[in-house]
Amino acid sequence: MIDPLFLEGIIKILFVFVLISAGLIISTRNLSSVLTTYTVQSFLLAAVSFLLYLIDGKGELLLLAGLTLASKVILIPYFISRIEEKIKIGRDLHFAYLEPTTSLLLSIGIILLSYTFLSKVFEDLPLSKLFFFGAVIGLSLTLMGMLVMFSRKKVVTKALGYLSMENGVLMFGLFVTELPFIIEVLIIIDLIILVMLTTILAVGMDSSIEEYRQKFRKLQVWTGVESQ
Amino acid sequence: MNTSFLLFALLNPLFALLAAPLYMALIRKVKAYAQWRKGPRLFQVYYDLKKLMQKEAVYSPTSSWVMRFTPYLNLSTLLVCSLFVPLIFVPEPAGGLGNIIVFLYLLALERFFTALGGLDAGSAFGGMGSSRSMSLAAVIEPTMVVSFAALAFVLKSLNLHRMFALTAGTVLPISPTLVLVSISLFIILIVETGRLPVDNPATHLELTMINEAMILEQTGKNLALLELAHALKQFLLMGILINTILPVGLSTEIDAGKIAVSALLFLLKAGLLAVIIGLFESSVAKMRLFRLPAFYVMAFFFSALTILIEVFA
Repeated sequence: MIDPLFLEGIIKILFVFVLISAGLIISTRNLSSVLTTYTVQSFLLAAVSFLLYLIDGKGELLLLAGLTLASKVILIPYFISRIEEKIKIGRDLHFAYLEPTTSLLLSIGIILLSYTFLSKVFEDLPLSKLFFFGAVIGLSLTLMGMLVMFSRKKVVTKALGYLSMENGVLMFGLFVTELPFIIEVLIIIDLIILVMLTTILAVGMDSSIEEYRQKFRKLQVWTGVESQ
Repeated sequence: MNTSFLLFALLNPLFALLAAPLYMALIRKVKAYAQWRKGPRLFQVYYDLKKLMQKEAVYSPTSSWVMRFTPYLNLSTLLVCSLFVPLIFVPEPAGGLGNIIVFLYLLALERFFTALGGLDAGSAFGGMGSSRSMSLAAVIEPTMVVSFAALAFVLKSLNLHRMFALTAGTVLPISPTLVLVSISLFIILIVETGRLPVDNPATHLELTMINEAMILEQTGKNLALLELAHALKQFLLMGILINTILPVGLSTEIDAGKIAVSALLFLLKAGLLAVIIGLFESSVAKMRLFRLPAFYVMAFFFSALTILIEVFA
């Protein structure tokens, strides 16, 4: 049996890495780097879930870790990397409302705000420091994902922002509420459908139906075969 | 002033001075391998320094005492700085040495005089380099202060000696926030030593030069001193980063065996860090000058976050 205090120390270090990944998602311009960062972030969440299982011994946490690993570390990044290959856009250089620098500075404020807000909410609850810290990071991750969604212009980055937002929800769920496992599964199914929709929409957001059909036929996103 | 500190004051600068150029060479070597080249021998830097030392210094007729004085000032400032960063063993604190604020100001002094030296010769390149360096310094300085403040906040002291005495010998970083600070410190290391993506130390190209432009007019012995000072600065900043995040093996006692082990371990860890820096440099492209603040803001973000977490969590 591993010492729970040691495990908690490692979870705290993972928290820090989750925050780092959130900062990177906000400021990176290279699409494939954003995707890699998202994959790493999801992997970190799976690891946190697994470590919590080692401390608590609840089977659901183990299942959740497995599910996160399968869907968010393998399946979804695979789909998105396929989209990125197809749309042949390497970078997201245009920003709406906020430049990455401003977004990063703003996220410091977001974290501070989540802390103040949650400390008011959880004032009377007997929540341990680790769990409170996790909740704050979960909430900030959600809001930082939102920041990515409205400050980026490319659809793929927006989708990744949304996915990172969901990672925040998962984190919040891990540490504060106990979501029934079936709801987690439903959320994951939702996400996969979102990614599929993005795949379809990303190629033809700006075109008419005819142009869109042509583009779609040309890309053959699903079969993976380039048609003539 | 006690014996432990006297021994430290003798050993630490000497160790830093001897080992520093090696890591310049190691980074160069890693970069060369990353580009499928062999690169110069590791000890080539020492031969270069020796050769430069034997050459006479040539001065531009428009230059003043600043140009003659700058190399000596830079090297002596950094030698004083090396008293602030324990590399092989942590002495008992003495005489206010180790204060992080003084350390920062000594680095600022060195930067200031390098810029003055760049302006002094009256060449267009020197002036351009100085102007770039100073405008970047104005942006990185607040970030640096916040990062070191975060470090001081986590380790509950303003004295580098005390900080390292606290971290010495641990395997995991004693606080998760040190991981965050170390990222800021890494960015500062990259910026302060003029490496990619901020500045390209390998070229003399007008578009990319910052640091090189300032020392372009220096020759002979003076150039050697400046190169040595630059290597020393990099080595000391590497030392701060290593002793913060991976202080395993750092000795706090005066014992010949322990000091030897600690020095050897430090050389290994610095080697590892140099390889990381080399790989990092090989994987990024030079940033546009006006994009650089975005890079610095990362460091600022992580340090500010560290302070937030330390205060609240």
